[in-house]
Formats: sequence, C-alpha cells, structure tokens
Amino acid sequence: MSETLRTSDQGQVLADIRRALGRSETVRPMPLEPFIEAPVVTTSAELVARFTEEITAVVGHAHRARSSAEVATHIARICADASVRELALSGASMLAELNLPAQLAAQHLSAVVVADFDSRSRDELIAFLAGCGVGVTAVDYAIAETGTLVLTSDEEQSLLVSLLPAIHIAVVHQHQISSSLATVIEKLNHERMLRAAPCRTATFITGPSRTSDVELTLSIGVHGPKALHVIMLGEDSNDARLESTTPTSA
Amino acid sequence: MSLVSPDLTERSHTALADATLQTALKRATDTFIERRREAVAGVPDWEALRARARQIKEHTINHLDYYLEQLVEQVTALGGHVHWARTGEDVSRYIIELARARGVTSVVKSKSMATEEIELNHALEAAGIRPVETDLGEYIIQLAHEKPSHIIVPAIHKTREQIADLFAEKLKVGRAREVEEITAIARARLRHEFLSAGMGITGANFAVAETGTIVLVENEGNIRLSTQVPPIHVAVVGIEKVIPRFADLSVFLRLLPRSGTGQKQTAYVSFLNGPRQQTEIAHDSNSPNEFEFHLVLMDNGRTRILADEQLRESLYCIRCGACLNVCPVYQKIGGQAYGWIYPGPIGAVISPQLQGLKQAGELPFASSLCGACRDACPVAINLPDMLLALRAKAKETEGAHAGRRKLGESMAMRVYAATAQRPKLFVAVGAMVRRISRLLAKGGKITSAHVSPLDEWTRYRDLPVPTGRSFRAWWQEHKGDE
Repeated sequence: MSETLRTSDQGQVLADIRRALGRSETVRPMPLEPFIEAPVVTTSAELVARFTEEITAVVGHAHRARSSAEVATHIARICADASVRELALSGASMLAELNLPAQLAAQHLSAVVVADFDSRSRDELIAFLAGCGVGVTAVDYAIAETGTLVLTSDEEQSLLVSLLPAIHIAVVHQHQISSSLATVIEKLNHERMLRAAPCRTATFITGPSRTSDVELTLSIGVHGPKALHVIMLGEDSNDARLESTTPTSA
Repeated sequence: MSLVSPDLTERSHTALADATLQTALKRATDTFIERRREAVAGVPDWEALRARARQIKEHTINHLDYYLEQLVEQVTALGGHVHWARTGEDVSRYIIELARARGVTSVVKSKSMATEEIELNHALEAAGIRPVETDLGEYIIQLAHEKPSHIIVPAIHKTREQIADLFAEKLKVGRAREVEEITAIARARLRHEFLSAGMGITGANFAVAETGTIVLVENEGNIRLSTQVPPIHVAVVGIEKVIPRFADLSVFLRLLPRSGTGQKQTAYVSFLNGPRQQTEIAHDSNSPNEFEFHLVLMDNGRTRILADEQLRESLYCIRCGACLNVCPVYQKIGGQAYGWIYPGPIGAVISPQLQGLKQAGELPFASSLCGACRDACPVAINLPDMLLALRAKAKETEGAHAGRRKLGESMAMRVYAATAQRPKLFVAVGAMVRRISRLLAKGGKITSAHVSPLDEWTRYRDLPVPTGRSFRAWWQEHKGDE
C-alpha cells in the first residue's frame, strides 16, 4: 500500500464512539447467553421431500439419482434440452469419484474439469466459463427448510462454475442435507470459519438468479444462472425410477 | 408556520398527483405487506427471533468500540485492508486514491445504501472513474439520473414502458415489450462490465466481529459477480453493521429476507473472509497479490446518533424496508418525495441525524405516528417514540417563531377547555355540532367543508358525521343494563 492510502481515522472514530457511550476506554463485554432453539427432528426421507419441495418453490429443478450413471443421464438430458455440448465441471472430489468426466464422455459430451484447465490465465478461465452453457458442481452443505445449497471456496473454482455458466447443476449427496439454517450456520462456523486457515468465501444458493425490480414482476436469470438443477444422490431410495420434479411456479 | 418546508409539501403534492406513481406504490406496498405476512406466519417463533435480534443489536451497539476492534483485527489477520472514515468525503477520497494507485478506470457497484448516502458515484465520476450500478433497479435509476424510491426495489416508481423507452434511448437497443426482455438487455450489458471492471464496490448487510466475515444478501447475482470477478473488492460499511458472532447470522438471515421481500431466503448470500486466495491457475501473472479486499468503516454521523440515548436504537436497523411498506405516508408519497436517501419512518429518524437536524428536521412530521412501523420492524425499533422526540426537538429549535396557525390552535384549545369544564354547555355545544354537521353532510360524510380549520381535513379526506345521539345520552339509557 502506498503511504497516501494510510490516512485512517481509526483512533478518532473509536474515540468518538467511546465518548458517545460515555466511557474513556474499551470494555470487554460479557458475551450474550447462547440462543437455544428446539432441535428439529426429521427422517432422511422427510429431509429429501422438504428440500425438493423448497427447491421447486423457488423455480429450481430437483432430480433424484441412485448411481453415478443416473447422475450422468440427468446431466445429459439437461444439456440436450439446452442444446449444450460443452460443459464445465468443478474439481470437486465427489464429481471425480462418480467418474463423471468419463460418464459424460460416454454421453457424447465434452466436460472440461476447471481444476485441470490448461490455460494459465484467470481471465481466460472466466471468459471460458462465461461462455459455457452448463456448469456442474458438488456442494458442501444443503438446507432443507429453504432449499438452499451451500458452496465454499474450499473446493477451488466451484463458486465461479456455479455463477458464470447459463445453467448450474449441483450434485448433492442426501446425507449432506440438514434440516435448518441454524444447523448449517453452526457447521459452517465450526468446520470452515473458526479454523487456522478459514475458508475465504461461502455462498448460499437458493434457486436461480432472479429480480423483481421491474413492476415487481419476477424475472429469472438476471446476472447469475438462468436455471438451477439439483441432482440428489442417494442409494436408499425405494423407487427404482429416475425422478424429476419441475418447478411449481415457473 | 408549518415545520414542513414548501419543498417537501410540493414534492408530496407532485407524488400524489402522479397516477402512475400511485399505482406503482400501491402495488409495491400491498405486495410486500402480503408476502411478508405469509413469510412471517411460517415461522412459529417469530417474536422470539425478533427479541433475540434486538438483544444482539443492543448488546453490540453498547459495545461498538470493542466489536469494531475485534472485526478489524480479524479482517487484518485474513490479509484485508481496513480504512476508517469519519465522513463520506473520506470514504470517497480513499476509494479514488486506491483506484488511481491500481490504474482502475471502471468499477462495478452493487446496491449499497451506504454509498448512496455519501453520493460516492458523483465523487468517482468527478475523478474520472466510471461507476456502473449493477443491481437492475439501480442500473435503471442510474441511466435515468434519478434517486431510488424504495430501498429494496429502487426503480419501483417506473413502469416497464418507461424503462423500455429509457433503455432504447440510452443503450440504443430495440424497444423491449416484456420484463424478460428488459432483464436480458441488462444482463448482456452488465456481463461485459463485470468482466472488464478493475474493482467491485459493495456495502454489507452484516460484518461478523468474531470471524471478520462480510455478509451480503441479494437475489440477482450481481453481488457475487462484483466480489468474485474483479481483482479488488471494496466494502463500504457503516460502523453499526457489525455483529458479534457468526452464530448470530442464523437469527438475522431468517429475519432479513422475510421482512424485506417476504422470501424464506434470498437467491444468494455471500460470506466473504478477506481477499480471495491465489489459485494455481492464476500463477502466471507477475503480481504476487492478485486479489485485494478493502473494508471501509464509515462513521458519517453515526456516532452522533450513538451519543443520543433516545435515538441510539435507530442504529439497530438492518435496512429491510418493512417500515416503508406499512407506513401510510410512504404508501402515498413514495421514497423520492422525502428528499433524502433514506425514506419512510426509519429515514425520518436517521436522515436528520446523518445530515444534521437543520437540513432534514421536517421529516419526523411526515408521519402519522400510527405505530405500524414498530410492529413491522424485525428488530422492534421504537420508531414512533423517536419520531415524537424528534418533533419535540424540532419545536424547541423553532423556539419563539410561533406563527399564526400556532396562535389559532392555542385559541381553539382554550375555547375547548372552557367548554369541556362546563357540563351543560358541553352538552348544548355537542348537540349543536351534531346538527350542523348533519346539515353539511352528503351520504353520511362531509366531503368539503369551507370553514377553517375543517377544510384542512376535508381537502384530502371525508369527515364522517357523528351519530345522532351523544355517548352521554346512550350511557344514561344503558347504565342500568347490567
């Protein structure tokens, strides 16, 4: 930083605050008592049902899959519907474990894993993603009560892959779904924030990008993705069919 | 004379006479009230959440120095830069110097009341730096060179036709017919801006002292793009935005979206910890620190509010806009008529403080003291009491300059007092008033009285006629009923 930028008024503002509060030095407060809320008890099936319901309520699409092949089939169908041949995959280990690049290649799709992106410039990566029809990511957590996906920068580039392409597809393991915001805030805090090297960015995603700025009319896809697909992966599903739930208010 | 300036009166008259604006305001406030009601009904412990939020804010504001120091320590430890600014000019100067030092010529901005408050865009433009508002509503307002009319939906006073015309004129595009087309035009234009800007400027909804996390709540994705794409992110944050702990977010992130737009959760919430980290992909570049994060902590009149114990709780505000929607005055005149960036009940309280009472001291009179704002507020700010206190303060300032109306008013009160103390006279005058008002009425209402001061009332509304019988007579008849 150049010296000219260092004209900070820290001392002055803090002095003004102390004077306003009627004290001459900072006092360490007793922290507030914790806020205890009754825990929500739900079964895994209930969580999946609620999560699905909330995603469709915010004009997202929810899909169920029992195997990596079914995940790939869903992705291929979404790409076909949008006439997309090339898609971006985040470098999430979950996607690699599902062997998605090979599965998608078998579906005649060209999947670029951005962690292996061979161009060296960030600008080029951004330009590539901005022109990409579909971006596929994993998630770190999910919240059933609001249909929310939580992505963090611990998985490098997943935030850009979920933001720049026109369609975002997220693959969620059923066991990643928590019932409430409070639970996920606590997990984020303890697992990602309060550690030696905190994660740099976390993002909650609830449905596709939207605005009501013109006449309060809902319009989807203003700056971020125009569509959001959530593929829920779980082995314990009773029904053998591949299920998809379309938005309730598209 | 009236404490409301001719300017405010004139702006209100203009707003009331604008049929398009009246339609837009009614639609916006009705819709928001209904959506909020539904969203709140879905939370069984809403009142407990409100009480907790208020408790957290009260605790934080009472220890603002401690929590700000903790915040600064955390942000610095994460590799972020912190700048403290006493005034809006300090904020603008810092950002301009930073932009110049980094060779930045265009910046993308997300909707931020803090930067609106200090008119950062003017300062940037004067310094030859091009600010681009990226929230759709703000983008429209910027193209039209206007001020926002609502803190959540800034361009709510404009119809789709007006916006289509504006885009056609300013952006040289074909005239859009549908809202989807308007959105698509803005998306294409602004995508380019995000990818080429050297700096993103945002506000913040919350700043967590414990972790140094800046939290931003939005629907469009423009905040994600402003903070994730350009190499430099500057957050301009009022000093009252700090909250102690990350866990506190589970309270505020349930209250804010439901109170603001009636959503259970907005499309995006970003949690930012210092500058992004260099990734392997970016390693070719020669600069070792590609990403920067600057937190600008702004006072700009907030310590003045803090010093006033009666008004201190206005610093609890989380800028949701719920008090605007339920305010009967806002519903009729909209945000621009107030003449200041913060409209509605909360604006009437904080604008005189942030701008100095002399300049905006009339605003507390632009309210009905009905209390709907306090009931809607997610942190239960006692707005009516503060509006009353500010009215009293303005009266004191006004002092001996009592005008004619004041004299008339005090005469009338004296006559009333004399009558009310004489029961027989009171009954006789009451009967007379009832008779006269029935003579003047049409269909049970007096629509236009030509006698002062009654004409002041009937100019804008009908005066209902009293029933044929006084309460006194009714009571004489019914007191033995039980």
